Amino acid sequence: MTDTDTETQEIEAGSTGSVPERQAGHEADLAQGDVAYRMSHAAPNLLPGEIRAHPDPWQYVVVAVVLAVITAVEIAVSYMEGDIPDGLIVTLLLAMMVMKFFLVASWFMHLRTDQPVFRRFFIVGSIAAPVLYLVVLATLHGVLQH
Amino acid sequence: MEAWPDGRDAATESTNLMTAVEETPTSAGGSGELVPAGAAHDAAAAPGAHDTHTGVANAKLAMWLFLSSDCLFFGAFIATYLLYRGRDGQTGPKPADVYNIPFTSVTSFILLMSSLTMVLALAAVQRGDYRRFRVWLMATALFGATFIGGQIFEFTEFTRKGLNVDTNLFGSSFFILTGIHGTHVLVGIVWLISLWSLSMQSRLSQGDSERVEIAGLYWHFVDIVWIVIFTVIYLLPK
Repeated sequence: MTDTDTETQEIEAGSTGSVPERQAGHEADLAQGDVAYRMSHAAPNLLPGEIRAHPDPWQYVVVAVVLAVITAVEIAVSYMEGDIPDGLIVTLLLAMMVMKFFLVASWFMHLRTDQPVFRRFFIVGSIAAPVLYLVVLATLHGVLQH
Repeated sequence: MEAWPDGRDAATESTNLMTAVEETPTSAGGSGELVPAGAAHDAAAAPGAHDTHTGVANAKLAMWLFLSSDCLFFGAFIATYLLYRGRDGQTGPKPADVYNIPFTSVTSFILLMSSLTMVLALAAVQRGDYRRFRVWLMATALFGATFIGGQIFEFTEFTRKGLNVDTNLFGSSFFILTGIHGTHVLVGIVWLISLWSLSMQSRLSQGDSERVEIAGLYWHFVDIVWIVIFTVIYLLPK
């Protein structure tokens, strides 16, 4: 369970009662029907689907600066072809790509502050796509070579 | 009388649950007050209301479902590119012959920064600062248009160097992938300009920020797809 999931549960469970009591109540409510539970426990002053307020503009600027720096490093690394092993370049570039991907998704697309259901949808798509196509590539790569 | 494992009476809890469902909190006006289910539906028709049947905004949920499926859509084209990349026996230019990494890096950076202006536009409309909202929204559309301009220039250069969509497998997979991404960006620009026009006509208020957020989700998605394309297609060793 992630920190966000825990926070979600705490927000949704309300502030009364001990943590075990709230946890038990939360699980019982979920057992009765997740949809009805969420509909009756929306946090005030937030849009449906949000569990925390969005970041402030300065935080967005900081994230953009980090993205810019990572992009600059990416381009620099791509010019090191021949100086360092290709395997290391591929690893570094893919790692930086994943970092940028998740920075945009979590901060700019608000997956950090929205209900986990959105994150789950997106993770299913963004994980399923590479897995599916890696299988296809592994299968067809051999086929096309013959 | 049936009882649940924790000792609660099933019939009573069922009644409580139905009451909770009927007293769905509506976010219309941000008051958070409880209203009967029928009234909640009426309130949802009011300007700025967020229609929901699941506790999360329907339109936002639909957009995330679309984006999730679009991951698979783009994944198919990226996989096709990787599959055909570097195949022996291809005639015509190869990636190393046509790519202009410094130029593409600049256009990629512009698209990346358009995500920043997009969230700043959303933050502005959410606090009711319509002037800044329009400025940031137009900046986002202009960044997107600059990116498209760069892509048209790049395509023209590739064609001049002898690479067309039907030249070889690299040309086919490259133009299809980046062309479809460019089409997504174009749709995003039209969407942003329509929101800007609505705002100019005072038909987009603070209560409609969810519409801006959904357009923003689409725009950021287009950006993260380009993050992947830029690395996998342009930067990885040939």
